[in-house]
Amino acid sequence: MAFLDNSGDIIIDAVLTDTGRYRLAKGDGSFKIAKFALGDDEIDYELFDPSDGDANADLEIMQTPILEAFTNNASSLKSKLVSIPRNNILYMPVLMTNNKKQNALNGDLNMYVVATDETTENNTDQTLAPFLYGENFNNGKNLRIDQGIDTPAISPKFSIESDLEETQYIIEIDNRLGSIVSQTGPAARIAYIDDDNVASYYLTMGTDQSYVTKNASTTTAGEIIRGPRGTTLTFSIQSSIELNTSTYLFTQLGSSGETMTGVNGNFSYIDTTVRIQGATTGAQIDLPVRFIKSE
Amino acid sequence: MATIFKTISSDDITSTRTLLHENVPVTGTIVSGTYADSNIKEYTHGMFQSVYDYPYLSSSANHLFDLTCGYSNNSPLSASTTPTQNSKKINIYGQMAQVLVGYDTTGSVLDFDQDGDLSGGNKIQEAYFINVSRLLAKDELKRGTFSLIVGSGSLWTDPFDAVQLTIADHGADTNYRSSSPAGDFAVLYTASAPFYEDSGVGLLYYQAGVAVLTASLFGDVGMNSADEDAQAVLTGSKIDANADAIRHRMNSLTFNNTIELNSTIYFCNANHNEFNYSSNPTYLSSSSIRVKDGDPQNSPSSYITSVGLYSADNELLATAKVSEPLKKDPSSTLTLRVRLDY
Repeated sequence: MAFLDNSGDIIIDAVLTDTGRYRLAKGDGSFKIAKFALGDDEIDYELFDPSDGDANADLEIMQTPILEAFTNNASSLKSKLVSIPRNNILYMPVLMTNNKKQNALNGDLNMYVVATDETTENNTDQTLAPFLYGENFNNGKNLRIDQGIDTPAISPKFSIESDLEETQYIIEIDNRLGSIVSQTGPAARIAYIDDDNVASYYLTMGTDQSYVTKNASTTTAGEIIRGPRGTTLTFSIQSSIELNTSTYLFTQLGSSGETMTGVNGNFSYIDTTVRIQGATTGAQIDLPVRFIKSE
Repeated sequence: MATIFKTISSDDITSTRTLLHENVPVTGTIVSGTYADSNIKEYTHGMFQSVYDYPYLSSSANHLFDLTCGYSNNSPLSASTTPTQNSKKINIYGQMAQVLVGYDTTGSVLDFDQDGDLSGGNKIQEAYFINVSRLLAKDELKRGTFSLIVGSGSLWTDPFDAVQLTIADHGADTNYRSSSPAGDFAVLYTASAPFYEDSGVGLLYYQAGVAVLTASLFGDVGMNSADEDAQAVLTGSKIDANADAIRHRMNSLTFNNTIELNSTIYFCNANHNEFNYSSNPTYLSSSSIRVKDGDPQNSPSSYITSVGLYSADNELLATAKVSEPLKKDPSSTLTLRVRLDY
């Protein structure tokens, strides 16, 4: 009589994140675990080699050493596993910045540059380089993120399957530096701000129509997604009052005495990353952003 | 509909309580000798002495226990002529008795009882106290594991030349009392004595981490360099000198502590059709799933390295890691039991 296989039942020890400890210490009932997600942050799927045969294709992946748990909530579970009931999917949607319709990307820096006050805005020249305006954001550039299946193998005339269409986006931005706004609608509402001052915004199709829209285009003009298209996220960044009125954070977090094409005179700057994630498909993209302020 | 979270229902959560035990051995040379008493902290108030495992001025030093002594108001020693620190010794005894023994029906503090009951019998009216630090005792001492070996040599200069006494809570794992306001306690016996009602030499309070030793244990041995007996040193010397005497005769102290670990276990179930895809940026090449190798009929697969426990508003509250990647595909289901300790 053989032994029962118990390998499907695994006990692992969890550690509280800084947010978990904070909520536990508050004692107001906000520490309540309601759901779980699985992550594969350390896995490099490029190591998957089908030419090695079925048994050995993932040999290198299975040998990946695993890091101990981070307690910083912002550093853990960066890439999550996704549940899709169907098994016959060959293509999955991605998020890509569309710099064709709204060319907000500074090509020299490969970053998105936000002028934090009106003086800095007046010192910029949009004909030489694109800028987002942090104070008069209606006059600056927009950021546009497109979602869809980026492959030439499927025509964009085909609709994306409904279970792969992203309908809700999560934007994470350092709340000390800026906030998410729209040129055509109200400012986005912050869902929560974590202990690291990272603000999360949830923008949903239908509810937040000035941010999330269906991408119905079937042509290639002005589009970045080569295959079936899902939805489009459009937003601007408004600089925080602190960046707008003070140089304190530039001294603390950034540098000074910088020059660049399209800006008159020297400026101080802070670099940060804005993270955008699809709430249903988990697809994500990090946008490098530079806040500048004329000296 | 694609999803990245799965709800944990109340049926997926359970809690457990685990008792962990550590063995704590303290050798007599640490208590007296190795560090030439630089690990012994005395205070200007002179009411107790603290013993560390290293010179206490070092940040590496850990507090082991405190030593003090006292006698009851009812003890004949309290009425002896010119007792040193008389009120402090009475106060110490009263404080320890108040916390560990409690009060009678009139509100008076009871004396320590030799056999641990409250119905009368012999009292321990002159006592030495060993207060184990919370760092070592943790939640409580484990019953039946306490052992204190002391030298019973008659001369101060050679305390270990005679038979050494092993003072222990013999049989306490099944025979202990619970009538103390400070929790469970048991009678301490010497190994050489039979366990009858009046053979107890002290009391051990498990949750409080306090050992009470009767002074009569050292009734006829030299407790200072002048070879005075315990009664003489209790009345004629300061509390610090009495603590020195106990340390001088300690050969070893061992016990097991207890840590109560409360855990919540979350059963994270991944069914056959869940978590088979990934949002990892390397998962796709031009939107094509790498592990499918261009064939939609191939099964998707993903590799689990971490589990995140989230609040309802998607805040990551706890994380757990597996020791090696776990392959997940439609042919497998997994139950990850994630334990969170408090």
